[in-house]
Order: sequence, then C-alpha cells, then structure tokens
Amino acid sequence: MPDALPVPVSVIGDLRRARRRQRVAKIHWIDALYQVYLVGIAVVAVVAVLSTVIGDEALDAAGIERVRTDGPAWLGVAAALAFFVGLRSGSRGGPLAVEAPDVRHVLMAPVDRGAALRGPALRQLRFAAFAAAGTGAAAGQFAGRRFPENGLEWILSDAAFALTVVGLGFGAALLASSRRLPSWLATLVGGGLLVWSVADVASSSVPMAPASAAGVIAVWPIEFHPLGIVPIVVAAALVAIGLAGIAHVSLEKAERRTALVGQLRFAVTLQDLRTVMVLRRQLAADLPRSRPWVRALRAPGRARFPTWQRGWRGVLRWPVPRLLRLLALAAIAGMSLRGVWNGTTPLLVPAGLALWVAALDAIEPLAQETDHPGLRDGYPLAEGELMVRHLPVPAVVMVVVTGIAAAVAGVGDRAVDASVLAIGAVPLAAASVLGAAVSVLMGVPKEVDELLIASPEIAGAKTVLRTVFPPLVACLGVLPVLMARNPPEGSTATDMAGTGALIVGFVVLLCTGWVRFAADIRMWWVEASQTAKDQAMGRTAEEEVP
Amino acid sequence: MTDEELPAVEVAELSKDYGDLVALHPLDMTVDAGGSVALIGHNGSGKSTLLRMLAGLLEPSDGDIEIAGWPVGSLEARATTSFLPDDPVLYDDLSVREHVEYVSRLHGGSGWDDYAASVVERLGLMDRVDDLPSRFSRGLRQKTSIVLGIVRPFSLLLVDEPFVGLDAGGRQAMFELLDEVRADGAAVVVATHEPAFVERVDRSVALRDGEVIFDGVARASDVLSLVGA
Repeated sequence: MPDALPVPVSVIGDLRRARRRQRVAKIHWIDALYQVYLVGIAVVAVVAVLSTVIGDEALDAAGIERVRTDGPAWLGVAAALAFFVGLRSGSRGGPLAVEAPDVRHVLMAPVDRGAALRGPALRQLRFAAFAAAGTGAAAGQFAGRRFPENGLEWILSDAAFALTVVGLGFGAALLASSRRLPSWLATLVGGGLLVWSVADVASSSVPMAPASAAGVIAVWPIEFHPLGIVPIVVAAALVAIGLAGIAHVSLEKAERRTALVGQLRFAVTLQDLRTVMVLRRQLAADLPRSRPWVRALRAPGRARFPTWQRGWRGVLRWPVPRLLRLLALAAIAGMSLRGVWNGTTPLLVPAGLALWVAALDAIEPLAQETDHPGLRDGYPLAEGELMVRHLPVPAVVMVVVTGIAAAVAGVGDRAVDASVLAIGAVPLAAASVLGAAVSVLMGVPKEVDELLIASPEIAGAKTVLRTVFPPLVACLGVLPVLMARNPPEGSTATDMAGTGALIVGFVVLLCTGWVRFAADIRMWWVEASQTAKDQAMGRTAEEEVP
Repeated sequence: MTDEELPAVEVAELSKDYGDLVALHPLDMTVDAGGSVALIGHNGSGKSTLLRMLAGLLEPSDGDIEIAGWPVGSLEARATTSFLPDDPVLYDDLSVREHVEYVSRLHGGSGWDDYAASVVERLGLMDRVDDLPSRFSRGLRQKTSIVLGIVRPFSLLLVDEPFVGLDAGGRQAMFELLDEVRADGAAVVVATHEPAFVERVDRSVALRDGEVIFDGVARASDVLSLVGA
C-alpha cells in the first residue's frame, strides 16, 4: 500500500496535459478550420430560419400581456424537461461519460475520485453553459425586436434563463448520480414536476408549477418578479452539491454508460436509428424480462403461425419501463389529437411523432430480424414476406396504444368526437406501425451509394427523404381527425373521417408493398448496376483492343 | 504485504441480481491473507460477477465485502486490490511504457523501473514497449493488461480468465508471475477454465448458476465433476 493515501491527483493532471499536447499536435488545422466553417454555416442557417419564423413585427398590448401571463408556464416546461432528463440521466450514472480506461485505471486507483472527476464535470458544464448562453442570447435578440423594452435586457434575461435550465438539468444529473438516486424515484420526481408544468400550461385552474418560476426569468424585461431568483439559486445549489458529492458516482453505472455513450454517439453520426434505440435501451437498463408476463402460449414447434407467436413472445417480455413509456406516449398523442381537433393544426406533428416512437418499440420483433441478418437469411422464405408477417403483432399493440390515446382525446371538455376517433384509431395505428417499419428497414445509409454517385444532385433530397418520410407516414395517420375537424357543407365529421381513413389506408397499403418488395427491389438494383458495370467494362476492353 | 491477522477478502451474504435475473445467490467466503483461491465454473456461473464485485466494479445487491478489513471501494481497499480483467481496457494514445508509468504512479509506485522492465521482458513485450497497445492483437493487449496489474503495489490480486488469448510463452510467464506474487505474500483469487490451475492454489470454489457448490481442495481431474457436465 502507498505510504500516504490518497495518492496525489497531480499524476492525473500531468497525464491529461501530456495527452492534450499529443492530441493538439495531431490536429490537422485545415480539417479543424473546415469544421469551424461548417458549424458557422449551420449557425447562420439556424439564425436565418428562426428570424423568419419569429418575425420582427412588434406585439400589441394584448400580445405582450399574453406573453407575461402564459410565457413563464410554457418556458417552465423546458426547465421541467431539463430537470427530468437530468434526474433520469443521473440515476443511470450521468451526466459524465468518462473514458473506459479512466474508469478502470483512475477510478479504481487510490486517488480522490472527487478531484479526478470534478475537472471533466466542470469542462462539460462549461461547454453546456457556453452553448446555452449563446442560444439564449440569440433568442433574446429575436424577442427584443418584438417588444418595446430594451433589446439588451431581453438578451441578458433569456441567456440567464437558458443558463438556469442548463444548471437545473446538469445539477439534477450530478445530484442524482452522486446520491445514487434509484431510476424509479428519478422518474417519479422528474416526471411529476414535468406533468405539473404541462398541466400548468393546459389549465389555468392548476396551481403554478415550480418550474414555471424559471420561465419568469425569461420575461423579466416585461415585469421583474423576484420569484425568478429562486430557480437560479436552486440551479447553483444543485450544481454545487452535485459537484461536492461526485466522488460517490457508481463505478458499475459509469462503466456501462461509458461503453454505451461512445457507441451511441457513433450510431447518431451514422443516422443509425435502430442502433440508437437499442443502445438507449441498454443505457436505461430497459431490457426484456427473463420470464414473460403470461406463459400460456403454446410451444413454438406446435404453432400454426410461428411469426405471430414469436412476436407475442417478445411483446410479453417487455419490461415495466417500456410499458410505462408507451402509456406516456399514448397520453401525449391523445392530448395532441385534442389540440388538433380544437384548431391547433401543428399539434399533429407531436401526435404522429409520439405514436411513431411508440411503434418503434412495438415493431421490436421485426427489428430483431434486421439485427440478425444471418438468421433471417437462413429462413426458407423471402425477406419481404417475413417482414410483412411481422406486422400484425405490432399493429395489434398499436391499436391498443392508439385506443388509449383516443380515450385521452375523447374524454372531458372540448373532446374529439367519439365517432371520429372510432374511425381514425385503426388507420392511425397502422400508419405509425408502417412508418416505424419503413424507418427500421431503410437501415443505415450506405457508405458508397451508387445511385448518389451517378446522380449527386439528388443526394440532399434523398437524405431528407430518408429522415423525414417515416415520421411523415405516422403523422399522416392524424388525417381523419384533421379532415373531420371542419367538415364542408353537406358532409359530416364522420364522412370526412372516413375519407381521411381511406387516404391513410391507401398510403399504408403502399408502404406495406414497400416492406414486402424493398429487399427484392434492392437486389434487382444491385444486379442491374453490376450488369451495367460489366457491360461498360466489356465495351472499354473491346475499344482498347486494336 | 497485508496485515497477517486480517483476511484478504471477507464476504458476507453477498448477492447480485439484475431485476428478475439472479447472477449470484447469497454467499459467504473468506480468503486468508497470502492465500490463493481458484474460482471454477461454467460460463454464466457467476465467477466474473463475484470477481468484479470484489474489485469494486459491480455493486452488490446485498451483503458486505471487506478487503483486508476495509470496505470494498474505499481508498485503502483500492490501494490493496489489483484487478486483472478478461477484457483489457487500455488508452488508445498511450504506449505500453506510458501506461506503466501512469498506472504505477496512480498507485503510489515509482513509475517505470527495473521491476516493470523485467515483467515486460518476461511477457515478451520489450520490443513493443514504445508502441500503442491499441494497435496490438488481443493476446498482446492481454499481456499489457497483465503488466499493468502486476507492476503496481497490491496485496490482493484478482484475476479473471488470465490465460485467454495467451500463447504458450505467455501462459508460462503468467503461471510464474502468479507463483511469485503468492511467494511475496499477496493473496490471489483467479477465475479460470484451466483445470490444471486448481492444483497450484490452496483451495477451489466451484460455482454453478450463481451458487457455491464446492469449497475445498480440488484436483484437476475433479474439476469436470465439480462444475457439472
């Protein structure tokens, strides 16, 4: 054992400095400048889009009053969301993702873990704070154009709001991690505050949510209220307490997080949605149960429909968190449907997206086939046929999920018409399943895409299509509700919902056809490309022969 | 190295589960200071889980672990324990020599010294000592990991599948290093599938499905019958 414990952390500082020097020495400055250039273009594009969306028309007195009264609650949802995400991340070992060798060699060495971890934590906080302050200041600059108050006040207050949100999220994560908060408790506390904030937005009869106090900061230029100081103090306290206790981070969670976060970042850069989902589940310990909820299914050897039964075997092993997630997504979709019905058309996007995300869980048996192509290709039936056979189970699951969404949308004041929901639920479920299936079966973009090499001008359109099309199909499922909202003269809401359902049904049919024949079309394309290549090479060879 | 009166490892009612999956049923175990134990069992029997909990990498679901009288994970326990994993985890941008320098100093050692050089030499890494292990084969990375586990001060060595990926020379060097570590007074706990190894240790603990099914002196010929076919 060393003579004195802990071993001084200056050893770690020495090594980190040496490694940084090596990294800096290896940087290709042209590449770095190119990246800065790309980031600059992206920032300019975002600013341009935002300025177009926000506009610079001055608000009237009623508009300003609405921002003063409703703004804090809306912005409070962002603060509550950051707090919720932070607590959840911390309960899984976040917010830090230290290097795997650091976990093994540094955190297992007799050094002060707090001192070893505070440096990386402060660097991460510094970066997040810098990005947040910049974003907040930019938002404040836009806001300042529409309000009579001094623009600088808006820039400062919105930057302060963004910093507070980051402090709440990062501090909550540090606190949850250092106190080893159980995941269920993090979900309960964070989820409770989030729901309270959403309810605060939705209804004036709900008492002001705690997170709305953070929103007060953003509207300080209209009216200074000292309540806004409270979340700033809370955020600072969370960060300070979290940093003080950072040494108590769980090595088990830190190691798992380290391995998964690295892969997750790589999958995100590849736009590999399926891998992102699988890794995110592992990160959240959202793993199938060893024993199914119900064991009454017949043995696979005796099943008449093995794919159907295989699907249910997977579904019946879903863990509680996944079931709760589907319930929450159904509730979000239901509330959004109600908003669409009452005139807020853009809410069809969260409704469709919530059900699309739920369907990405529901199509797990199909996705498993894409994860194991070796097994899939060993079955004596076409890939597309196998995939189509996998669709009924997720469709049934999603009918249940949309049923819950419909129940949320169809109960209480300003509820969606029951007959519209009855007509629209099944198409909505089908559209979400097909959207999810298409996104999984599209897979990762190929490193070398011959179509794009042949026609590079379609590269952008293809990338957008790949990204947008699957959720778009799910959003299209809301069409029956949207069309039934304001039926033209001579038509009833039910008629219009039926027409919408037919349109959705047609799209679902097309997508099912794509699921069935996509693999065949890909194969045909590869063979045709190869044949064309062979022919071209043959011609070249003939031309070269004198 | 260790206080002679305190066991190197003392485990009471230790268990580990992952939700509805029990990885290790409650177990009690003691390893005397300077003692040697082989953990044997099929894949999934709980050997690695037990070792990782002793190393402080996994948190017990229940029970207590003391390393030389200190709670596992404490500064003193970390200073006492060296863990050699079956999956070498190394920095991408440090050479073998830089790894040794760093890890040794993190444990209060002197960095690269004659002893480190001799261990590197015996494992056949001297020619590669200034190369990056990230570009090594699995076997060479395993050897680097062994060097890092051996060159630092410790009085309890936990080793998970030490012979996997090693060539004949590496295996022989590993056997010799383990014997020397024991001769120096350190306790050794080794999880292995190598039946012959049970005859080099004081006692063997056989695990099956997370439960101890044997704890005593074993012979190589007994291993299969102990762990089950």
